[in-house]
Amino acid sequence: MGSKIETTQPQFRSGNGGPKPSEMGFVLEDFPGLISAPPRTETDNSFTALLELPAPQAFELLVNSPDAAANEESPAKPSIAGSAEVHSHFPPPPPIFPSDIGLFVRASKFSVFASVENSNNSILSNSNSKKSDIVKQEPSDSDSNPNSSSIAASGQNPKSAKRKEREKKVKESNRKSKKVTPFDASEDGGEKLPYVHVRARRGQATDSHSLAERARREKINARMKLLQELVPGCSKISGTAMVLDEIINHVQALQRQVEFLSMRLAAVNPRIDCNLDSLLAAESGSPVDGSFVGMFTPSMCPDVQYNGNRQHYNQMWHFDGLHQPVLGREEDNPNFITPENSLLSYDASANSASLHSSQLKMG
Amino acid sequence: MTMQKFPSNVNSVKSRFTNRFLQALKKMNKNKPASPSIRETYRRYHFIRVASYASMASVIRPRRAWSYATLWKIRNRALMKRSSRARSLTRNPRKDIGFEQVSDLRKLVPGGEEMKICRLLNETIHYIKCLEAQVEIMRNIVDHCST
Repeated sequence: MGSKIETTQPQFRSGNGGPKPSEMGFVLEDFPGLISAPPRTETDNSFTALLELPAPQAFELLVNSPDAAANEESPAKPSIAGSAEVHSHFPPPPPIFPSDIGLFVRASKFSVFASVENSNNSILSNSNSKKSDIVKQEPSDSDSNPNSSSIAASGQNPKSAKRKEREKKVKESNRKSKKVTPFDASEDGGEKLPYVHVRARRGQATDSHSLAERARREKINARMKLLQELVPGCSKISGTAMVLDEIINHVQALQRQVEFLSMRLAAVNPRIDCNLDSLLAAESGSPVDGSFVGMFTPSMCPDVQYNGNRQHYNQMWHFDGLHQPVLGREEDNPNFITPENSLLSYDASANSASLHSSQLKMG
Repeated sequence: MTMQKFPSNVNSVKSRFTNRFLQALKKMNKNKPASPSIRETYRRYHFIRVASYASMASVIRPRRAWSYATLWKIRNRALMKRSSRARSLTRNPRKDIGFEQVSDLRKLVPGGEEMKICRLLNETIHYIKCLEAQVEIMRNIVDHCST
């Protein structure tokens, strides 16, 4: 096991890998909100090929020839399946709805930013004054490539960077902010190059440091949201500090529960031999969750076992009484007390009495 | 190696954990006679606690930071006979976003000392899910053995 751990260690520390299907699924959950949000014209998707062109050329190309965009779309589509790259959508002046929606739905399966990209680009293409912005952003785009490798080195998650980007773009589209079009792509493939391509908002600094900082903050906020959903009672709390407090309390409570349960197992242990074999036998057949008692009682236990249980009961009473100082724990978390109390009530009455009294003494 | 924020197959994790944990318990019972003295019980408690964490961490493999740290700590304890515990952990202060709770969280999550915050949060999510599964299974076992 030692060598196995050694070899897995570098993999394990290499930071975040490529596109994660679970995260992809998670990200896609946000889609309904996003899809409904921008009620703008959405047009053909132009993909990787377009993005590799410098901005003015791409812009020109798309504005002039929507057909070319449509043609480029189909070969680019398969590449999208592999790489979750986002591409700018340059809408031709007349919006075409049905194909848009079909394309849009398909594109949304592949690329995260489809809806938002469309909306943004529709805004962008409408104003020509953005050319200056585009040109200005060009050097920063080329600069950000070497910078983004350093950003990536800080271990940012590409998926969440994309999600962050998308969230930002929704806000931007709502604010009608002027943005640069072409540099929307997040990392290509994701497996090889964890680039973080960040969009600068209007009026915000566009240097790589603040972009990286913003990306990081968005990532952290996303994680905190997940944690809020995980810990019961956290979703109502506002403010990161309180949420963190709740999370810490929850983890501490869980660890204390593990200790408490292992202590109980140690106390019960003399009886465990006869039970475990049947447990394991029952185990192999069926899933575990809480179905122990149901599985076990009807089929598996012979009468001899019950007699053995009764004998061990006397033993258990005896040293449960001795265990009072050991079993006392501070149980200040209200969530913790109730399940334990329910457990105690499940036990034999004498056991529960001794355990309960110990709790009352200590608590 | 995909770093998922949650174990995608919680049920398989649970069943694997149950198997390993029960095997560890069986082994423990075979080796030592089950004497009801307090010392023995305390030792058994300690063994069971370590066994539960170890079996959960081994189910997760060293894929996550916390499982790796747990297994590493356990192995260090076994090898160095707790001499490694005496040394103080070198506090490498990662820059926080200004919350002191983050340092508390670092102490709680195994291996969380030297991580950046976003990774710490990732690990916390996974750790909480696995801890909840572990607690549920242990409670089932205790319930079952107590009847």
